Amino acid sequence: MAQIYVKQAIAGVVVVALLFTAISCHMSATNEEFFGRTVPPERNTLRYVNGAEPESLDPAISSGQHEARIYMSLYEGLVEYDPKSLDAIPAIAERWDVNNDSSEFVFHLRRNARWSNGEPINAHDFVYSIRRSLTPEVESRSAGLAYPIRYAEAFNAGGVFVRDPASNQFLLEKDFAGDEPAAAALSQKSLGTNEREYEPTAAEPTPDRDTPFHQFMHSPDRLVLPGAEKARNKLLESNPRLQAAVAGKELVKARAEDVGVEPVDDYTVRISLSESVPYFTELVAHQIFRLVPRKVIEQYGAKWTDPSHIISSGAFKLKSWKPYSEVVVERNPMYWDAGSVRLDEIYFYTSTDHPATMNLYKVGAADAVLNHSVPNAWLDVVRPKKDYMDAAEATITYILINITQPPMNDLRVRRAFNISIDKINYSKARRITKPLFAFTPEAIFVGYPQPKGEGFDPEAARKLLGEAGYPVTQKSDGTYQCEKFPADEVKFAFPTHSSNRALAEFMQAQWKQNLGITVMLSNMESKTYLAARSKLDYKGFAFGSWGADYMDPTTFLNLFKTRGGDNGSGWWDQKYVDLLEEANHTIEPQKRYALLAKAEKYLLDAQPVIPIETPAVNWVKKPYVKGLYPNPACLFAWKFVYIERDASKWDYGTPSLTD
Amino acid sequence: MNDERPPPPDEPERPKPAFAPLGMPPAPPIRPRAGDIIHTGPELAVGEADVRSAERAEVVTGTSLWRDAWRRLLKNKLAVFGMIMVATITLASITGPFLIKQFTGLTPHYIPTDIAALKSLPPFTATDGSFSWLHPMGTDNQGRDLLARVLQGGQISLMVGIIATLMSLIIGVSYGAVSGYLGGRLDSLMMRLVDVLYSLPYIIIVIVLLSMFRSQTARGQLILLFVALGSVSWLTMARIVRGQILSLKNQEFVLAARATGVSTPRIIFWHLVPNTIGPVIVYATLTIPTIMLTEAFLSFLGFGVQPPIASWGSLTTDGIQNIAIFPWQLICPGVTMGLTLFSLNFLGDGLRDALDPQMRKV
Amino acid sequence: MLRFIIRRLIITIPTILVVITITWGLIRLAPGNFYTGDKALPEAIEQNIREKYGLDRPWHEQYLRTMGQILRLDFGTSLRYEGKSVNEIIARSLPVSATVGILAYLLALIVGITVGSIAALKQNSKWDYASMTLAMLGISIPNFVLGPILVLFFSLTLYWLPPSRWDGFPSKSVILPVITLSAIYMAYIARLTRAGMLEVLRSDYIRTARSKGLSETQVVIRHALRGGLLPVVSYTGPALAFLLTGTVVVESLFVLPGLGKYFIQASLNRDEPLILGIVAFISMTLLTMNLLVDIAYGYLDPRIRQ
Repeated sequence: MAQIYVKQAIAGVVVVALLFTAISCHMSATNEEFFGRTVPPERNTLRYVNGAEPESLDPAISSGQHEARIYMSLYEGLVEYDPKSLDAIPAIAERWDVNNDSSEFVFHLRRNARWSNGEPINAHDFVYSIRRSLTPEVESRSAGLAYPIRYAEAFNAGGVFVRDPASNQFLLEKDFAGDEPAAAALSQKSLGTNEREYEPTAAEPTPDRDTPFHQFMHSPDRLVLPGAEKARNKLLESNPRLQAAVAGKELVKARAEDVGVEPVDDYTVRISLSESVPYFTELVAHQIFRLVPRKVIEQYGAKWTDPSHIISSGAFKLKSWKPYSEVVVERNPMYWDAGSVRLDEIYFYTSTDHPATMNLYKVGAADAVLNHSVPNAWLDVVRPKKDYMDAAEATITYILINITQPPMNDLRVRRAFNISIDKINYSKARRITKPLFAFTPEAIFVGYPQPKGEGFDPEAARKLLGEAGYPVTQKSDGTYQCEKFPADEVKFAFPTHSSNRALAEFMQAQWKQNLGITVMLSNMESKTYLAARSKLDYKGFAFGSWGADYMDPTTFLNLFKTRGGDNGSGWWDQKYVDLLEEANHTIEPQKRYALLAKAEKYLLDAQPVIPIETPAVNWVKKPYVKGLYPNPACLFAWKFVYIERDASKWDYGTPSLTD
Repeated sequence: MNDERPPPPDEPERPKPAFAPLGMPPAPPIRPRAGDIIHTGPELAVGEADVRSAERAEVVTGTSLWRDAWRRLLKNKLAVFGMIMVATITLASITGPFLIKQFTGLTPHYIPTDIAALKSLPPFTATDGSFSWLHPMGTDNQGRDLLARVLQGGQISLMVGIIATLMSLIIGVSYGAVSGYLGGRLDSLMMRLVDVLYSLPYIIIVIVLLSMFRSQTARGQLILLFVALGSVSWLTMARIVRGQILSLKNQEFVLAARATGVSTPRIIFWHLVPNTIGPVIVYATLTIPTIMLTEAFLSFLGFGVQPPIASWGSLTTDGIQNIAIFPWQLICPGVTMGLTLFSLNFLGDGLRDALDPQMRKV
Repeated sequence: MLRFIIRRLIITIPTILVVITITWGLIRLAPGNFYTGDKALPEAIEQNIREKYGLDRPWHEQYLRTMGQILRLDFGTSLRYEGKSVNEIIARSLPVSATVGILAYLLALIVGITVGSIAALKQNSKWDYASMTLAMLGISIPNFVLGPILVLFFSLTLYWLPPSRWDGFPSKSVILPVITLSAIYMAYIARLTRAGMLEVLRSDYIRTARSKGLSETQVVIRHALRGGLLPVVSYTGPALAFLLTGTVVVESLFVLPGLGKYFIQASLNRDEPLILGIVAFISMTLLTMNLLVDIAYGYLDPRIRQ
């Protein structure tokens, strides 16, 4: 009796399996125009899958792209990112003046800007917001971006000035600088020496009001010493002249009021930098410069971002936040440009699971998804669809080399490892990335004369290794071996993630094939990996990836300006830093780019990194979502986004970024 | 078949396997039926249970009764089906990857060199879309043969199931036997410890352990997994064996052995333990699928085996990722794993029925 | 009875302490820190953080502080989610887990008891074999295989139900998670019900009831079902505690913001207070459930009160 049902059970299993196979074949063969359902939502809402759970709704704290997107809906800045090019476009500042060497910026605010509770926004709110982002207690991860502002670093890192109690004068940086004092920016020269610091414009025929603070800004840099006693003593001991000068003097902690942000009047903000930063207006769109409500923060402390407390300055205001689920923002009727906001609500969905995200999108339960959501293996199917976003991305993938330890302290060895990788073939396998031979991403910075590093040349690589004392020999079966190479001293550390592993395995295979060296892979938990990388606690190679914080090559090149932090290679060269400084003091953009390219070439020649690829954006949006462009950083000014119900006006293909 | 009897309603202190794998309920009281008696905790009134165990002890010791049990097992069609399936899948997992390599040259880790083939092919399909016998289960995202991977994943899953069960067997049997035989205060102390361990939310601790000490190498992670799974699944086994020993230790052959001066360890492991083999086999058979399921569950959450090693759990998890486009990646390993667990469960049920003389009353 | 409860409590409380201690130890022994983010922090700021969270104190001081807080049921503040207390997070995520869990269990009870009863009443019929084979399938197919298959059919192909996310209860988003979670319980309950009823149907009092001339329906409903449900009832206590945590797979599959999801995230993030808080909360819930079941058993069975 039971036997009959056994047969039936088996038959059932077989039938079900066949059925699934049939469906699956059917599904992968369908030639739909779009990926999944394209029915616009009933209301004017956008359901955007935003990625990881936001760490905080406080724009000063978090540095992630997913958080930045939410901040862009809630908090307005002096300027906003252009939805296509990410250039600065007016926001609360309706216009701005830049001095002749881009070292001082004056922002003129519109008078009709209001908080979501109806109170007016003025210059003091900006001064407060920027000072707050720099406050050490806030622990902002992005505070470094504001360091070009005068004394911002001193304040943020708890540095001290040195004052002579006798004369009440501060010691000056220039008196203790090295042999070659860098050319001072205009902002540092005292006023009057350069009458025409600002070119007169139609809107601003005369420069803005002078103030005591402005004069303080236009005086030579004060000497800044580390606030921590240990670090300070170490520095003083290494510099007897400095030590002698500091002895008996008074140490004054840098205050928020020393930071170069000044309310000239209620509707004018003047920001003084310690160097030329031509991209500063774009930088100012970053979240750490955006408006936060002083009253609420002072009243509720860390809980100020609760939906019941928060007051926002952006086109949207917070409606609810369900952790690990969604952040919902709704139209802010008090917004200065509320008339042009077309969405009623935005749902920022939390999801770190790309396939789940794509499933949500396919079913039509999400209208657009974050960058890199399309799994690599799906590209063959999804990429031909008309809702796939195909554009370059301001990100690079590279391999860091710990140059402090042998054998990697030898440039020839580093070069050999670089040119023994067939990056072109790797990119082909990855389908949508571009091979990278420089340290800035391909095709992102228009007009930048990007230098090129060495290309694939296994023969030369073997020769270089031979010169370095590790001869590569060919065995009888045609494979190579490099017996003398201390393979135990070299590993490839990468954070746990399947795509990183694929990269590491490819590199491993290339080195094995072309150099006969087996580099062991060391798969690390991502937090452990980050810690190990910044402390140079790895042997040989470590995975690296960097996305632009602002649209200028320096966002990549500055990684090697400091020794610690995200440098991760142990390579630091005064000449490189000088080249960057020189570029930053150059006003003419093309000349500046040329100098930056020179610095980049210098970096590539020193080879503390092996560039691998420039990824491409890969995400999808429903054709009825308009105003959402695949810009290189995937940051969107939400007020321009809307739902189009007329199918003839839908996007069929990636919307153009240059029109 | 399938005669499930509820535990006696008056049974005090049923073991509540404190944290069965999350998402999987604790084995309900009916499952280890042979262990019913043993489930009764230390406070058990003697009576009924001992009579029944004694009866079983006789059954188990008689060779002809083993043959009897075997005959009963063969009568149970579903158990036979389970046995055949388990044998087939085990054999295929062991020899399959080797055979596939012999005939097609494909290994579970072989990634095609041709860039066009670096994609997931549906079952029985070639790169150009035509019919082909090369990949009966299709390929995964990197173009690796799924059949070879499923068979090799079977090796790992079965190995995890068997090794962890063996570990639980060794620990559980020794612990239970020692506790039961020595009795007295030591026994109640040891059983108290088991009670405390029972109520630990062990799967949570396993997750914290595996996530905090994630091994750098796949092999290290696998060993961590064996240890974690084996060391948390011996508790029920210990109780079962203890109960058996309690009912056996005052029997004549034990008394005789003791009288002739046989050492205590020898009595425990030579005379007593072999007599508990029936329920131990039944319970072990039912432990294997539970552990395999737990392994799959941990792999699903990302705490289980790490690549390049693959198990059915990790293959299934990879498949879930691609369900919208490449459903065969989930269905092939998922159905194989389900079928194996299904068969093991039927086999376990059948063994339990065959080894339990009470069965014949029904 | 009181003595019995006290005796159980004596085991329960140290168990909770043991669990928390083991968890705390594991977190502290592991390499790496919770505050390592995407961007490296300057040393001075790192030092500030260490001081703020007391990481610079001796370990026993930190341990006692943590234990003291937990015993006062104050689980502290999440390290990863600024300004969110662990109690707040548990309070927010528990309803999601509980909703899914309770609905799944109710569904399992309804379907399981119905199927189990039919199987028992028609023992050895094709219905019996079919339902018991199905039940075995339910036990053998892991929920993370079943769930995606349901998603493939009902969401991705038919576009009927959302494939993931939580839109609250009631909403369409509840259906697939609940079915996925309840499948295995359905199977267990069907098997338990069938076995329980078979036992009762063979017993003397059913024979008596029948001989008294009660109709078959009355016999089944008033006597057989009631008797058959006993094992199911006794299974409810532990099963509910499992459901509470058992939703972790379903929460991962369907991206539900429940307790299990938080626990997995917290483990990956090394969010110590959150891990400890959830572990403590789950242990307490679980042990309370077990205690209640034990007490219920105590009432049912006078023998163990002594």
